[in-house]
Amino acid sequence: MYVFKAAVLGAGTMGAEIAQVISLSGLPVILKDVDEKQIERGMKHIRGIYARRVQRGRMTEREAEDHMALVTGQLDYQGFSDVDLAIEAVPEKLDLKRAVLQEVEGNLPRTALIATNTSALPVSEIAKGLAKPSRFLGLHFFFPASVMRLVEVIGGEATDEETTDSGVEFVEGIRRIPVRVKECPGFLVNRVLMAGLAEVFRAELDLGLEPSRIDAAVAASGLAPMGPYALADALGLDIAQEVSETLRAAYGDRFDLGGRIAGLIAEGKRGAKSGAGFYTYTG
Amino acid sequence: MADEKEQELLDRFRYAVLLEAVRCLDEGISSAREIDIAMRAGAGLPEGPLAAADKTGLDVVLRRLEELEQRWGDRFTPPGRLRELVGAGRTGVAAGRGFLEY
Repeated sequence: MYVFKAAVLGAGTMGAEIAQVISLSGLPVILKDVDEKQIERGMKHIRGIYARRVQRGRMTEREAEDHMALVTGQLDYQGFSDVDLAIEAVPEKLDLKRAVLQEVEGNLPRTALIATNTSALPVSEIAKGLAKPSRFLGLHFFFPASVMRLVEVIGGEATDEETTDSGVEFVEGIRRIPVRVKECPGFLVNRVLMAGLAEVFRAELDLGLEPSRIDAAVAASGLAPMGPYALADALGLDIAQEVSETLRAAYGDRFDLGGRIAGLIAEGKRGAKSGAGFYTYTG
Repeated sequence: MADEKEQELLDRFRYAVLLEAVRCLDEGISSAREIDIAMRAGAGLPEGPLAAADKTGLDVVLRRLEELEQRWGDRFTPPGRLRELVGAGRTGVAAGRGFLEY
């Protein structure tokens, strides 16, 4: 099924990033939230991404305006009757996601697809309560979606193959790289990455190495573009913690972060986005 | 050049990532090719973990995992799939086949 118009539910940073990616591909997209201030922040975030593209000479001001005009921020369901795909990007709380999805389902055409951008919750669980779980899937964008090319396409227990096929086509259409992933806790990329991160935290203790020295060694080795501590900061320590708890519950102690992040989060250090994590960030 | 401790850390990071990728492969989460694409495009790794192991040589990878298993325990136990590949002479890029085909 071809997507002519999309909607993103939740105008937080991730929702805004996803809406920007969709609008950049030339598709109209509604950015919906229940909080007017949040919509303003989301729209401002998208304008910021386009302004930087203009600054870098990647598009003209006129082009940026044209793309920006494809994004409509709103509180209600006006215009949802011809939305082909709605992507949910609200906070990672199962009850909240279910409530949001059930409400939107009633406002969409019967043929529409519905997706969740969860990184921690099972797609099949979120689907419960939907009238048509066969048309529901996971589209896992990575942070920041305006930069990261990958989208994991995840079918739940009730998802139709046609639905995941449409998901893959949509992701290609917005010029991202789709990878089909069978549902499992953490999905693919975060699962594999967090296994490495947990091992680095154990090695830090065993070997008595400083985080900055570890990051320098990893970056110099060419194994990863940046060290694991800088990467955790970029990902968001709260997200890393949330995902690792899901993984640890599912697969065991190889995903134990040993409290290495919990202490920082308790001090309000959630990584680059909060100004501090393992490192301090300015500007 | 990394010193001994740093080399140990790099190996532990690298092989923890590889082993989880192989578990995903065994569980049918994605194909070998897609796992590598995902780790490059989603985590920014310059090389997919499976392709990187093929390049090192799976016989070398197997020996190093046995050492890490002895020192750090079960979490580094070499996967059955790796032993089978090495046993079948599919030791990676040099052999023309490993986790991936060349």
